[in-house]
Amino acid sequence: MKTRFYAVYLSALAFLLVTSCASLRTAAFDQYSYQKGTEIKVDATRLMDKATMSYDSQTAAIENLQSELDKMVEYEKNKPDNTISYAMWKMIANPDKNFIAGFLKRWKDKGTLSTFFINEAKGQTVEALDLILKYEGKKDPAAEKRLQGMLGIQ
Amino acid sequence: MDFKDLLKELKGNLLSLMGAKFDDLKDESKKDVQDFLKASKEKLERWTTLLAEGNLTLDDYKWLVESQKDLVVLEGLYAAGVSKIKLGHLKNSILDTVISTAIGFVKPDEDKNDTANT
Repeated sequence: MKTRFYAVYLSALAFLLVTSCASLRTAAFDQYSYQKGTEIKVDATRLMDKATMSYDSQTAAIENLQSELDKMVEYEKNKPDNTISYAMWKMIANPDKNFIAGFLKRWKDKGTLSTFFINEAKGQTVEALDLILKYEGKKDPAAEKRLQGMLGIQ
Repeated sequence: MDFKDLLKELKGNLLSLMGAKFDDLKDESKKDVQDFLKASKEKLERWTTLLAEGNLTLDDYKWLVESQKDLVVLEGLYAAGVSKIKLGHLKNSILDTVISTAIGFVKPDEDKNDTANT
C-alpha cells in the first residue's frame, strides 16, 4: 500500500515536471537549420565581397539571398519552443539591423561600397551568423530524444 | 567618439539583456562577457584608426558601431538561450531520477505478480 502511494506520488511529481516549466522547453537540434544557416553564411560573405561592384549588377544574387533569409525566418517561426532562434534570425533578416540585410540595404542606397567597409561589415555578419550556428549546436539531440523516449512520444 | 563611454554602454546593455550584475554571473558567462568586451574594444580601436586614415567614412563608422550594438542583443539572446537549455537539461535529469525511483517502487510488485502467475 505504502509502495503504491510512493509510486503514485512520484508519477504525479514526474507529470508536474513534464507539464510545468513550459518556458524551459527548447526546440531540439535541427540539422536543416544548421545546414541552411551555414549555406546562408557562405552565400552572404561571397555576395558582400561583390559590393565594390554596382548593386544593380548583382540584383539576381541579392534577391536570391533575401529570399533565403525570408524562408529561414519563416521556418524558424513555425518550429515549436523556438523563440530564441527565431528572434536571432529575425535580427539577421531585418534591414534596419546592421547585419547582412542592413548591409544589402546600405549597398542599395550607396550603389557601391568600399573594400575596407565591406571587410569590417563582413566580420560583423560572420560573427552574428556564427552565434546562431553555435546556439543551434548547443541544442542537445540526445537529451531531447531521451525525454521523448521516456514519455513515449518518439 | 569616446571608447570608454561606448564600452560602458555595450557592457551595460549586455548585462541588462542577461538580467544580471557582472559579479553575479557564473565564471563561464563572465568569461563570455569579458571576451565580447575585449573584442569590441579591439574593433572600436581598429575602426577609429580606419576613420582617421580616411579608409572609412563617418557613416561607415557609425554603421559598424551600430552593428556592434546589434551584436550585443544577439549575444544576450544567445546567453539566455544557453541558460534555458542548461535548465532544461537539469529538469530532464531530475525527471530521470524521479521516473527511475518510481519504477523501482513498482517493479518489486510486478515481480511478485509474475512469480504468482507462474
